[in-house]
Amino acid sequence: MKDLEPETPFEINDYIRLEQMPHFLCPGCGHGIALRALLWAVHELQIDKDKLAVVSGIGCSGRLSAYIDANTFHTTHGRPLAFATGLALARPDLHVIVITGDGDSLAIGGNHLIHACRRNLNLTCMMLNNEIYGMTGGQVSPTTSSNRYTTTTPAGNTEPVFDACALASAAGASFVGREVTMQVTGLKNLMRGAIEHHGFSFVEVISDCTEIYGRKNDLGMSPEMMLSQKATMRPEAYRNTVDVPFRPNALECGVLTQKDRPEYGSAYREMTANLRAKGKQHG
Amino acid sequence: MVEKRNGPTNVLIVGVGGQGVIMVSKVLAQLCQNHGYEVKQSEVHGMAKRGGGVFSHVRYGSAVWSPTIPEGEADVLLALEWAEALRWINFMNPDTGTFIADTQRIVPPFACRARGRGEEAGYAPQTPEEIMAQVRAGYAIDATSMAEDLGNLKAANTVLLGALSTTLEFPVEDWLEVIRGFVPPHSIDINMAAFAAGREWAQAGDKRVEESAKGLHKADVELQQQVITKLEITEEWCKGCDICVKMCPERCLRLNEQLVAELPDPSKCTGCRMCEWLCPDFAIKITNTPVLEAAE
Repeated sequence: MKDLEPETPFEINDYIRLEQMPHFLCPGCGHGIALRALLWAVHELQIDKDKLAVVSGIGCSGRLSAYIDANTFHTTHGRPLAFATGLALARPDLHVIVITGDGDSLAIGGNHLIHACRRNLNLTCMMLNNEIYGMTGGQVSPTTSSNRYTTTTPAGNTEPVFDACALASAAGASFVGREVTMQVTGLKNLMRGAIEHHGFSFVEVISDCTEIYGRKNDLGMSPEMMLSQKATMRPEAYRNTVDVPFRPNALECGVLTQKDRPEYGSAYREMTANLRAKGKQHG
Repeated sequence: MVEKRNGPTNVLIVGVGGQGVIMVSKVLAQLCQNHGYEVKQSEVHGMAKRGGGVFSHVRYGSAVWSPTIPEGEADVLLALEWAEALRWINFMNPDTGTFIADTQRIVPPFACRARGRGEEAGYAPQTPEEIMAQVRAGYAIDATSMAEDLGNLKAANTVLLGALSTTLEFPVEDWLEVIRGFVPPHSIDINMAAFAAGREWAQAGDKRVEESAKGLHKADVELQQQVITKLEITEEWCKGCDICVKMCPERCLRLNEQLVAELPDPSKCTGCRMCEWLCPDFAIKITNTPVLEAAE
């Protein structure tokens, strides 16, 4: 990765398909902010747009790949990680970034997520967590907080919440982070670290669904939702500080896990090279 | 020297939180006690942790009744920060008082009302020369830079103690002994050197002004470059989500009748880019052009 900072300041219009704009997201949807942070990180790392591959699944998050002016891949529900695994194995020269949602990666594609974490292939997975299935009409998702109303939980959600970062970390992802959309520069730096990391990196972005989730649960408009999400976070600098006992339910944000594990892609390529060499000997 | 009178001698020590006002007053109080005087000291330091003002009254004499100094009766005003010195100057006795102040400027956030980049802070406009012309006896000493040159700018309060020691009648050895007891063991040497430097500087005569450009926060203020900020809104992309309006620290954006963001008064925008970063629809673009480049 290049160490030098880019000479030109970040200009989002260089990285999006202008003919597709304005995008389809609802007013105040945090996904747009997450997309900016991702593209900003890409700009700072000076990744060539031809070497960038963005894979996404289905859902509000899935549509984001359509607005990025790079190699993009809009796949089936829950399977972006499976497609991305194949892509990263076949084309190790590409920077493969997966944009997925909470329902996409934790419910429908739950298995793909844990096995992608287990393999530790060089991928970057950005999971946009808005706690709901927004595009399909507001059904309950694995990350919907308890007692929240959705179209499928009219009396309030009684299921416990899935902690995606803990799941990814336990399954073996070597880089795990979490950030809110309110902290744009923090999110940009986190995405930068995730893309730079060699191995499977998983970033959970706490986003807001104003139109469906916010309205159903009376959480206010997007500014209020963003501020309240920020308030439930404990930033990296505040870890182990005096406020820990006073805010026991605060979620930690920033880089949560970073460990050295063998990357799967290199092991796979070594194996194929060995097989090819053996085949030549025998043939 | 402070002239001997019947009543107690009053020393008012003022500064900003973290500078060591309380340490100075404790040293002085202990010293007076060692010399058999009755001492009363009272202080206010509640806002200190937030960079707020701190003051400490020290009164000593054969008998002291009230712990606070009446306005206009302080024999010595010792200030660790320039604006604090000016704030308390009316407590100094106009006929007999001695004014000792650090010329160091700590600009409080409150003074930064003009929020644009490179805007000058609303700090005390009086120069040390103007104040020196008004007081009977005074020293405007750049104690912070002197302490920094010695190796630790935290010793600025000891430099000022050195200057104070020329005004009060206690012997130098007693001052040093008390200071040695108050400072951490590893910083004794630097505090001894700081005391000597301050004393030497003050002995060279009063009504002197020394001001270098090295003040703690001064350089930061001067380094900020002025920029011309241009805020462009792509109206077709704006969905009126209200994020920029609510998140703008200057509250300078609003939604018009079509629920599209607009900037009614461009002069209020400081170019902080908060709205640009938080706009989910990429509708806001901010360009900050440095003033010099724009002129070319």
